[in-house]
Amino acid sequence: MKFTLVVYGAPHASEGAASALRFARALLEAGHSLYRVFFYGDGVHNGSALAAPPQDEQDLLGQWQRLQQAHNLDLVVCIAAAQRRGLLSESEASRLEKSAANLATGFTLAGLGQLAEAAAVCERVVTFGG
Amino acid sequence: MSKSILALCRQAPYGNALAREGLEAVLAAAAMDQTPAVLFCGDGVFQLVQQSPEGIGEKNLRRNIQALPMFGVETLHICRASLQQRGIDPVAIELPGAEIQLVENTTAFIDGFDHVLSF
Amino acid sequence: MTLHIVSKSPYSSSALADCLRTCGNGDAIVLIEDGVYAAQTGSEKLQDFAGKAVFCLRADAEARGVAVTATVDEIDEARWVALCTEYRPIVSWFK
Repeated sequence: MKFTLVVYGAPHASEGAASALRFARALLEAGHSLYRVFFYGDGVHNGSALAAPPQDEQDLLGQWQRLQQAHNLDLVVCIAAAQRRGLLSESEASRLEKSAANLATGFTLAGLGQLAEAAAVCERVVTFGG
Repeated sequence: MSKSILALCRQAPYGNALAREGLEAVLAAAAMDQTPAVLFCGDGVFQLVQQSPEGIGEKNLRRNIQALPMFGVETLHICRASLQQRGIDPVAIELPGAEIQLVENTTAFIDGFDHVLSF
Repeated sequence: MTLHIVSKSPYSSSALADCLRTCGNGDAIVLIEDGVYAAQTGSEKLQDFAGKAVFCLRADAEARGVAVTATVDEIDEARWVALCTEYRPIVSWFK
């Protein structure tokens, strides 16, 4: 079955993103397909390359990136929600004349249309709240 | 390929960004011909009452709701029990161009959709 | 039939109460994250679960030291995914 996950939870502010990761691993292990993970609201902070948690704490960013690489996942950060919260790709940073970019490798910025498109093609959409 | 989608709006308008971002998602989906149904439930019904948020530096969220019919979301579903609990008279919710439909049984209503996006 | 996912404690959020108001016969509830506190043996919230299919993520309950009552089914992540395939739609209650 084809799934899309929607993540509203920022790392540390809520457990939503960590739960989404566990769910994503389990659905892939069960042989289902993960069409897209859409990071929305405060969930966009999951795509920050600048997170630097202490070594003995859970590294959510690294876990998303490893899962993305292993399964060629489509990790989409909503561009409108990201701009509001200061999460920018190189091209967005230069377009908006900001001093730095911080979108992590493995994540892409895209519009809300990607959520609607995913809902149209997937059998299941599961939301992980903030 | 197309799926029926319900946007379940449960947040009051200004306490967090989800009410606004939920409506933005609804408008984006509608613009892509994936027009979702919208159900205001719980504190989400507070999005529908008259608001004057200038003093707190916010944009009026009710305007986004007023825009919904222009994007093809012509019927707004509202949980009657949520209105009642909060002392809101359904008659006071007047939205030009929108048809208001009060939902008595949210269980049966939600059950009819392929996807529910919670906002 | 709908699968409800509840992720907040019933003592600090209306998520579970709102979910229960909408949860019909044949629906199921999965308690995750702080939602698992509702499943504690002896909790006054348990009476609201009468006649309903309620599941609880074992890892989340163990993490919190919640002794899950016998009428709530403790599940792993694989079963959680399976439940999501068996029910439709899926509604998350997180505030």
